Amino acid sequence: MDDPLDFELQDDLLVPLPINKKRKKVIGLDDLLNEHYKEQEKLAEKQKKQAKKKAKANEKKKYDDEDRKEAHLNRLVEKCHNQLKAFGEENEIPVWGVEVFGEQKPFPRLDFPDLGSCNFIQSFLNNRLNSVVELAADKGDSFLEGLLVNGWLSKLAFLSGHVEKPVALWAFNSMLYSSKEELQNSSSDFWCEILSSGNEADQFSVKVDWFPEYKDLRSALDTYGFLFKFSSSAAHESSDSNNGGPPQNIRAWIRFVTYCCRIKSKKAILSTIEAEEIVEIIICMFLDRRFQGLLVLLYDCLQAVVDYFTDQEWCSSCENVAKFIACRVSEDLNCIRTVECVSEDSSRCRQLRSAIAYQTMLFCFDGANNGEEILKSLDAINLKHKSCDFFKLYIHLVLAKNWILSNNSVEDNEVIHEMFCSFLRNCSTFISPTDLRSYASEVRHKASYLLNFSV
Amino acid sequence: MVNPNRASFEDKMLLTMFDACDAAKDATQDDIDDRLAFLDAVRASSIGLEGGKPPSLKICGVVFHMLRTVKSLQLIMACHKLLVDLEKHFPRAYLSDEDDSLSSSNAPPKLVVAEEAWSPLILGLDNAAVVSGASEKQSGGSLDPSSFHLLIQELAEILTDSNFQEKGMKLLQSLLLFQYLVIVLEGDFLPRNATMNWSLQRKSWLNMLLGSRKINYKSLMKNCIEVICLLCQPFENDNFHKSNTALFLALAEVLKNTRVSIDKFLVMILALDVSKKKADIEGNTSRSDGSRTPLVDIILDELAYNKDNIPHFFKTISEPKWKTEIVVQYLWKYIPKPAARTRRSSGVTEDTTFDGALKCFSNKTRTKSIIKKIGADVVQLLLAHGFQAQLSILSNSALVDLCREFISTFESLRSTDGNMEILSIGKEALFTAACVISMKS
Repeated sequence: MDDPLDFELQDDLLVPLPINKKRKKVIGLDDLLNEHYKEQEKLAEKQKKQAKKKAKANEKKKYDDEDRKEAHLNRLVEKCHNQLKAFGEENEIPVWGVEVFGEQKPFPRLDFPDLGSCNFIQSFLNNRLNSVVELAADKGDSFLEGLLVNGWLSKLAFLSGHVEKPVALWAFNSMLYSSKEELQNSSSDFWCEILSSGNEADQFSVKVDWFPEYKDLRSALDTYGFLFKFSSSAAHESSDSNNGGPPQNIRAWIRFVTYCCRIKSKKAILSTIEAEEIVEIIICMFLDRRFQGLLVLLYDCLQAVVDYFTDQEWCSSCENVAKFIACRVSEDLNCIRTVECVSEDSSRCRQLRSAIAYQTMLFCFDGANNGEEILKSLDAINLKHKSCDFFKLYIHLVLAKNWILSNNSVEDNEVIHEMFCSFLRNCSTFISPTDLRSYASEVRHKASYLLNFSV
Repeated sequence: MVNPNRASFEDKMLLTMFDACDAAKDATQDDIDDRLAFLDAVRASSIGLEGGKPPSLKICGVVFHMLRTVKSLQLIMACHKLLVDLEKHFPRAYLSDEDDSLSSSNAPPKLVVAEEAWSPLILGLDNAAVVSGASEKQSGGSLDPSSFHLLIQELAEILTDSNFQEKGMKLLQSLLLFQYLVIVLEGDFLPRNATMNWSLQRKSWLNMLLGSRKINYKSLMKNCIEVICLLCQPFENDNFHKSNTALFLALAEVLKNTRVSIDKFLVMILALDVSKKKADIEGNTSRSDGSRTPLVDIILDELAYNKDNIPHFFKTISEPKWKTEIVVQYLWKYIPKPAARTRRSSGVTEDTTFDGALKCFSNKTRTKSIIKKIGADVVQLLLAHGFQAQLSILSNSALVDLCREFISTFESLRSTDGNMEILSIGKEALFTAACVISMKS
């Protein structure tokens, strides 16, 4: 009966506290024996301690010696460290980054639609309820904003199955040009909700009277200050110029483009060439350090645009994009960035990654006509030579790795694969671990890592 | 292809890569590059491989620790993305409905849980002495329930302060951490909850987190509601935009996504409450399950206490079902019960639907008393949000009735209180109701 009930067992609060075990009991023979053993143990320990003390005294001398040695070593290390530091200061580590957005242009005025041209508003004006709502044709702007921000507009769109042109246009413009964050977000949600409605392959569940065209999207970018003709090799070090950068609306722009690309079967907004340009634009945005926080948006967008092409189009489009990027990006960390910003999650992206790396290498090795020639000239580099530019070599190594390993059809080419491996072996064996020139160790590490894990 | 030796070797190699860059420091670009290379290698060796395995516990711990401590925007975003992608790629729990035997084709799907998976939260060790002695290092940087609560409090603090220029990076980190934890909790809870089996549901991390004695559940929930309202502040700051565009854009995006996360978090708890209540009724709970105030009650108290929060709260909670539920319960709390029941009405129970609540407003004395109790503005807000939620739930013929009833409710409100000013959301709702009537009839 004293046993706890079921639930008491499970309740931690009810678990009895451990009872203090100091209880008087009759002393037995076993206890006496135990006590005896304990005392003997104590004695033995005492002797040990004494022995230790002696040993310590001896060791102290040794430690003093070691201290002196250590101090000497310390001094040496410090000296080396200082030297290294001085070395590092000479050639500062470069950082990727190109400002692809310049000065913003003045935003167009946000015109509210003429409410008289919206049927659903027009028909309400005569409703007897308007004595309460007090909607007037000339001051409907803030009312429409309220409808949008508070979610009524999308309810109405889905219930009526219809979005009238003035509303669609106005929501699009407030998404791209309004300076109010709430309005940007709401109009972007409104459009994205409509675009992603309906069945997979079928039509939208809402009839939309107006869709933007590519030129509308492009002119928005132009207003934000996007440098369509940028080239990072000619790029001035413009980090100091405080041009404010792209406005917040760029987030809505990227999101909208992503959704547009996902609905090709319902409405193809972009032509192949336009889609190519969008791939290029997104990769350029990856290059701008101000976009670091929008990584996920950019990844999603790139994936969506890449999936926009048909299989047939993709082969040539992929190459076109790669060529475009290759000839605009300088041969420094930026060209690595343009390759590595393309995710490896889908086969098309891997293909694009490989293509950009390949085209960039062709561009770097002026005169090389194909992959084998590139690898031959890589192999010919004398790693022992004083003038060997390890920074360049590092870039070429990363590019070659992405070109070959991201694309199965290249990787399966035995000649290329073998040449690449031999290049890696050279890098990992012929560069001495003590080579202090900048990027020498990076090349060596990278090459041995690749040799171990990837090829 | 991957033999175990190679795998463990790879693990060591990855960790050396990480050790090579002095821990807890990312001052130089070199350190940042090393860490990015480490993250890339982790990704390539897990998600990147066909049939790859999740990274080891230690590596997951390292990445998680990095997310919380590094200072570089690029690194923070990369850590967060890697953790989220891992979560997607290697689900912690899922329902397997593969028919392994013909006999049990009608059997409910089986819950598969990756028991040995790394977790960013340490739960279920409430009473063990281990916790008091375990430093963060021993637990691999995972958070215990009290740190979770601390995170929410910290969020509320920084958001209130709104000194984004100085604390922006810290805020970004906390927001991303919170988002990630919600994804983890969700990955564990949703499949468990779908089993409708309390013995599985009660072991969900969410339930253990909320039931932990290391947190004050009620104050945690209050903090969450506070955060919801703070997240609704518009994020516009020209100076900040100019001075640190990268961080500004990152925060704008992450703040927006956090609104979705906290909505998910609360809705999960609401769903857990429902499951628990069901288990209670069926007699499947035991005393060890403890008793928690249902979240709905806490929300109602908070909204009644701080009326300014009502619009923000309803804007954030997206699920129409819960919106309606909260509106209806709020209203019914203040709808006066008929004092003397006649014999006829004694058997009739109150109609606790939204429609039922609307009908109460047809009675002038009742309407008067409700307005007196909760104020004309709040009544309008509640009705408008309830109406909007109903618009997403009901279908055609019921819609027109709803709209008619809604309009007459507002008319009754106005005739009861002649001076009442109609809020703009009330006007928008009336406009919508009128439009729906004209398009559907």
